[in-house]
Amino acid sequence: MGTIRMDRRLFLKTAGATAGAVAATQVGCFKYFKKGRSTAADAKEIPTTCELCPNKCSAIAVVEGGFIRKLNPNPENPKSRDMLCARGNAAVMQVYDPDRIKQPMIRVGARGEGKWKPVSWDEAFDYTAKKLAEIKQKYGPEGTLWSSTEGFQEKFFVNLGQAFGSPNIVRHPTLCLASVNLAYGTTFGTVPSFDMLNSKYVIMSGANRFESIITPDTMDLIGSVMERKAKLVYLDPRFTVTAAKADEWYPIKPGSDLAFILAMLNVIIAEKRYHKDFVDTYTLGFDQLAEHVKQYTPEWAEKETEIPAKDIIRIAREFADAGTRALYYSGRRSSWYENDFQMRRAQAILNTIVGNWDQMGGMVPNASLPKGEFLFMPWDDPKASRVDEVKTNFPLAAASDGVYLKLRENVLSGKPYPIKGWMVYKQDPMNALPDQGKTLKMIEDMDFIGVIDLQMSDMAWYADVVFPESAYLERTDPVEVMPGIWPAVVYRQQVVKPIHDTKPNLEIVQGLAKRLGLSDYFDYTIDQWVEAEFKDLPIPMAAEHMKKHGVWAATGEAHYGKTLTPDHRFVTKSGKIEIFSERLQENGYDPLPVYNQIAQPPADRFRLILGRVGYFTHANQSNNVWLHEFMPENDLWINPAPAARLGIKNGEYVNVASSVGSVRIKARVTEEIRPDCVFMLHGFGKKSKMQSLVYNVGASDAVILETAWDKVSGNAAFHGTFVKVSNA
Amino acid sequence: MAMKKKRYALVIDSRKCLNCKACVVACKAENKVPVGHFRNRINEERKGEYPTLSINFEPEQCHHCDEPSCVRVCPTGASWQRKDGIVLVNYDECIGCRYCMIACPYDARYFNEEEGVVDKCTFCVQRVDKGEVPACVETCPSKVRVFGDLEDPKSRIRELLATRRYKVKEPQTGNGPQLYYLL
Ligand code: SF4
Ligand code: SF4
Ligand code: SF4
Repeated sequence: MGTIRMDRRLFLKTAGATAGAVAATQVGCFKYFKKGRSTAADAKEIPTTCELCPNKCSAIAVVEGGFIRKLNPNPENPKSRDMLCARGNAAVMQVYDPDRIKQPMIRVGARGEGKWKPVSWDEAFDYTAKKLAEIKQKYGPEGTLWSSTEGFQEKFFVNLGQAFGSPNIVRHPTLCLASVNLAYGTTFGTVPSFDMLNSKYVIMSGANRFESIITPDTMDLIGSVMERKAKLVYLDPRFTVTAAKADEWYPIKPGSDLAFILAMLNVIIAEKRYHKDFVDTYTLGFDQLAEHVKQYTPEWAEKETEIPAKDIIRIAREFADAGTRALYYSGRRSSWYENDFQMRRAQAILNTIVGNWDQMGGMVPNASLPKGEFLFMPWDDPKASRVDEVKTNFPLAAASDGVYLKLRENVLSGKPYPIKGWMVYKQDPMNALPDQGKTLKMIEDMDFIGVIDLQMSDMAWYADVVFPESAYLERTDPVEVMPGIWPAVVYRQQVVKPIHDTKPNLEIVQGLAKRLGLSDYFDYTIDQWVEAEFKDLPIPMAAEHMKKHGVWAATGEAHYGKTLTPDHRFVTKSGKIEIFSERLQENGYDPLPVYNQIAQPPADRFRLILGRVGYFTHANQSNNVWLHEFMPENDLWINPAPAARLGIKNGEYVNVASSVGSVRIKARVTEEIRPDCVFMLHGFGKKSKMQSLVYNVGASDAVILETAWDKVSGNAAFHGTFVKVSNA
Repeated sequence: MAMKKKRYALVIDSRKCLNCKACVVACKAENKVPVGHFRNRINEERKGEYPTLSINFEPEQCHHCDEPSCVRVCPTGASWQRKDGIVLVNYDECIGCRYCMIACPYDARYFNEEEGVVDKCTFCVQRVDKGEVPACVETCPSKVRVFGDLEDPKSRIRELLATRRYKVKEPQTGNGPQLYYLL
């Protein structure tokens, strides 16, 4: 009799008592579970913080016999509301993924050929330091680019780039939420949260909250809508899960959301339904707004949006009637159109005039919590200015994050100066950026590329050196404060020792720093760093608490109205909420949102739109065996009317071509999309053979997306590409 | 001391289901369900023509029937039912004949090729016996499922069934399914 069945019997016998040792397994990582198996006697529960997306949900890892058996949600985190999503649950498989990078590697074949030599850490560090030093000598430290994605250890990587002397740090915001942050920041001086738990009327456009999970918004909104506490009006060219759950869905003409919002402003102001007291006390520029939106009538907006004027008028009235508990939801990933900043700002203004600022059920400025800081030796500011020239091109954008697509243009042109070295922390520019051809060109132009990642992303596949990072379940990370309506502080501690020859990012950074003569700036351990952060937490016995619970939240109570005193100064130029923005005007932008038509596709083309599902968000998640089985291959959504015209059949392959590339993908003929749009999910058609489940399977949106960005924030504009679809 | 009688059941509010699959992955981890097989699933019903459309998601798993046809047809007694209603498979007695798979009106069972036995949702007995809820119930973002004891008059599921309209699936089979879907 096999060991597996013996264990099963053991399991059945002990079920009923306390021990629940289901130890054997048949999953992909067979050997990990099979060896070192034990009864529940040595089971441990270790609280930690999920890293599979930026929500940072609190999890409790159940470890048996040294192996992670399961992750359970930790109810103590007020933001994650006692849940873990599919990705969070599948993090177990991130650790035991056979495709993981298991030791440092140096490329031996041509770039992208996939020939690698496993090397020692010393070799990988020495080689990289030598290359970086060569580039520094020839081009100066500014000849290196450091790009990274969001994460608790990202700061160490960013610090290394800065200590090295490069001004060229580029982070993820301009591929994500830069336009929404800048729009709300310009208006309120801060980016608020949205109290979905208590809102009574929610309008959502440019967001798909029931598939792109944001905590606690997703959970709060589904509860409110299904329990009939809130009405949800949803605009999207695609019939998403959010559309299916909404009270009203409008397949708005893409890119015209701003017209819809301006017409709502028109109605609410013309009918004097706005919150006069609030507007008078706290805002600047209402009169100019009233004058400005007179031109944007509902009848005009009907032509732009294809939403009937009578519905726009009714929705505007209902919204204003819900008053302080009405919300036009901001969205998070707001990289859609070239007018995205102005569209998000119009939302902010609409929210302002109904007076929902700092109100229960409205927009609430984030509360935060204090935490200690580890004081490390500071370095000199870089001498050169940024290669993406953020200050001149995007004077209002966050220069420290960079503007990714403008940066790529400048690197490709070699102006204002050449970039020859590229260090990447856990980002996949090959898939995260539009126009993969350009990214490949940029890769070709590099003298050296080093990538730190868990998996062989497409970016890593084209690197010269690959440093394997330990998975979050194998690491201890810095402490993170999560500001919000329900602020919390979370801690990620090591659950199991690294199962391969991997290191946490800090140790990779330190290994490089040592060889670059920068050790003094990184002279600490993660434990020292974390101890310093624990110090100022408002918790008695903070270290003990965080190790035992993984999370701390004050009370779970929301506090509203802290900024609603007449002497409160908003962090804007005028100290008021700026409906009319002089700052925008001074920098050459429209001080009030002006509508400009977005180009619409010609008759023989479709607009390519993007989105996410709940079980994949990041490009690397499609290669997780527990997620991949929900969607082994992506497909192209196309409405039956154009499909019939083009002779395209459901399930058959089609070619999708834009001005920059073409892909082959299966068609999904579906009623659930506007006839002038096509849609595909992100994360397929990989070039890396070490993403074995999705290598060359399906298509990568990055291949066909064209380069465009929002004019004010520089945020990538992903919805401006027109494609031709034909039978393959 | 006499044990109080128990009857475990699930109340499901399908309207809140987002098809996010968290419950499916949590089950996979908790119960080591092989890749390619599932103990729970989300049924999808998509209807209509653009732009008048609807989608309904409906979580489903073993209904832990009162009169389980799987148990009735099992030639070896491997499929059996606990006093608290939970239907289980004793893997050592299962000969892999798969009669139970055919007898189940809900397609709740799968054949585990590697072990040569039939398997299915156990309501996570290993958790329930420790006083916890099944993994699918716990992890769900919108808390679609409510797990509880129908014999406990103060339980949340009793309250829901007393105050809300609901249905069970395929009642005509006489299986007495114990998944209650709120309407
Ligand atoms: S939403 Fe999911 S992936 Fe994101 S942190 Fe939470 S559990 Fe992890
Ligand atoms: S976890 Fe909940 S919302 Fe997600 S698919 Fe399962 S039942 Fe539906
Ligand atoms: S649902 Fe099927 S497997 Fe479950 S108890 Fe009923 S008949 Fe048996």
